[in-house]
Amino acid sequence: MEQQNELSFDTLVIGGGIAGSEAAINLANLNYKVILVEKDLSLGGKMIHLSKVFPTLDCSACITTPKVSETIRHPNITIYTYSEVKNIVKVSEKKFTATLVKKPRYVDEDLCTGCQECEDKCPVVVKDQFQYDLVGRKAVYVPFSIANPRVVNIDIENCILCGLCEKVCPVDAIDFTQEAVDIPLTVKSVIIATGYELFDPTQILRYGFGKFKNVVTAMQMERQLVPTRPYNSVLRPKDGKMPDNIAYILCTGSRDETVGNPICSQICCMYSVKQAQLLLGALPMADVSIYCMDIRAFGKGFCEFYQQAIGMGVEFHKGKVAKITEKENGNLILRYEDIEEGKIKEVEHDLVVLSIGVLPNPDAKLLFNNPVIESDEFNYIKQIDELLCPPETNIEGVYVAGTSSGPMDIPDSILSAGAASACSANYIRN
Amino acid sequence: MEIKKIKTIDIIKEKRTVSAEAKQNHKEYNKIKKLILKSLESEAKTIPQIAGETKLPPDVVTFYLMTLRKYGSIETGEIDDMDEYFSYKLKK
Ligand SMILES: Cc1cc2nc3c(=O)[nH]c(=O)nc-3n(C[C@H](O)[C@H](O)[C@H](O)COP(=O)(O)OP(=O)(O)OC[C@H]3O[C@@H](n4cnc5c(N)ncnc54)[C@H](O)[C@@H]3O)c2cc1C
Ligand code: SF4
Ligand code: SF4
Repeated sequence: MEQQNELSFDTLVIGGGIAGSEAAINLANLNYKVILVEKDLSLGGKMIHLSKVFPTLDCSACITTPKVSETIRHPNITIYTYSEVKNIVKVSEKKFTATLVKKPRYVDEDLCTGCQECEDKCPVVVKDQFQYDLVGRKAVYVPFSIANPRVVNIDIENCILCGLCEKVCPVDAIDFTQEAVDIPLTVKSVIIATGYELFDPTQILRYGFGKFKNVVTAMQMERQLVPTRPYNSVLRPKDGKMPDNIAYILCTGSRDETVGNPICSQICCMYSVKQAQLLLGALPMADVSIYCMDIRAFGKGFCEFYQQAIGMGVEFHKGKVAKITEKENGNLILRYEDIEEGKIKEVEHDLVVLSIGVLPNPDAKLLFNNPVIESDEFNYIKQIDELLCPPETNIEGVYVAGTSSGPMDIPDSILSAGAASACSANYIRN
Repeated sequence: MEIKKIKTIDIIKEKRTVSAEAKQNHKEYNKIKKLILKSLESEAKTIPQIAGETKLPPDVVTFYLMTLRKYGSIETGEIDDMDEYFSYKLKK
């Protein structure tokens, strides 16, 4: 592994989702020098992949992309994508050391123009993780159309080393000699914005995700609802049929002790109500039913948004789905207890969407060496003074922003990032 | 005299070998791609029609057909009278 000279900044922001970008911009606007480290190939976090946002139905990409561009262009922000930090140590007040690891993309980011000539020629196809496996991508690929930076990456594990990409690149950007680089780092404060993970629905065997191809996750449905969708329309993955009777199963992996996540994910009720409305717009002849224990519409305008869905014809059924079985034609039979009628019922749908919950990102805890960062009983970063100073962690000078501290929606993530950046500025200044 | 540029692919080939899984995946994709493109040579077809003709599982056809559509070999045709299935055709 190659070593480079030490870098020094005021604040290290870990994670380039909406919370990390917001925190970095706030600090940079106050003239602090910020290093933003993003593990993935592009900034934007989960938000850049969403369709529209509840309850306003604004286009998610239209809000995220200007924010991402502002982050990238800011003269006080240095960005490392496809990079990670490790071994963070608090040496003294306002002095943290860490190691930044820049992983190889096998392309010179300064030369690559994102023309995709290499991608066109690459003979390898694997699942596209940015379309949540609904379609394929090449071994050399631009992550997604609005990725920033918009340069390719080579998936070396799946590359067959045919050399075609290097042969066709008009600017000689492909570089198979790249290796991971370790860069020593010193900063005065740290903001953790590593976000959340999604519940893996294969854990609930009785829903058949993975086995029944017409059972999809809400994130896969988000992708089907964007203009850069994997298919030409909203379609069933099993056979390309346009669905006309869609079911949502709420609290998949939330409020469920049996899968180790007893808490509410706070966003699934509203994103399901949002998707139901968008589906009725995309497929005017379709029926959409939502199976839930209850609907938690606690935010500003949420209850009205829920009422709007009822008005549009979305059906809400109170009951937890016990089991899904598949018919030969790919339709799905949902067995559930109708709580209001006190009866066990079976209903048929032609597509089922699992409203998967939010889980803590275990990465956050592994970043720190000394002292260690504490987590709460649900494994999110512990807020030591949740009421009076929510961004504070057990380490003075380390603050938490967005969903690293618990499930929350976009406006709350932005608000929390604002608070984390204010605390960080205060810590550096005093 | 022109200096021959060293291709970096030759350097990595000395250090890395392609996994059996990657080789198998590449073979599989080529096979399926050929079957789907051949099936569409005669006329536009729906996914179940292609699956029936090629004997591939329909979800496998959906995945690879949509990938070929993404990379420009296939385009979307008309939807059927029942508004259920689109047909797909080779891009000219
Ligand atoms: C299906 C679905 C629909 C949704 N719809 C809506 C909606 O309509 N409206 C709404 O308000 N909210 C919605 N949400 C919630 C929204 O996604 C979150 O509120 C928001 O994305 C949180 O932002 P974040 O920055 O905290 O986390 P994330 O978006 O998770 O970003 C975290 C970033 O940190 C990076 N990272 C992780 N680990 C590391 C590491 N070790 N080092 C460096 N970087 C790291 C990640 O790659 C990522 O880029 C939806 C969520 C889902 C699942
Ligand atoms: S590596 Fe070369 S061919 Fe590939 S996108 Fe970049 S500039 Fe284009
Ligand atoms: S060398 Fe690898 S990434 Fe490049 S074209 Fe061949 S398979 Fe694709």
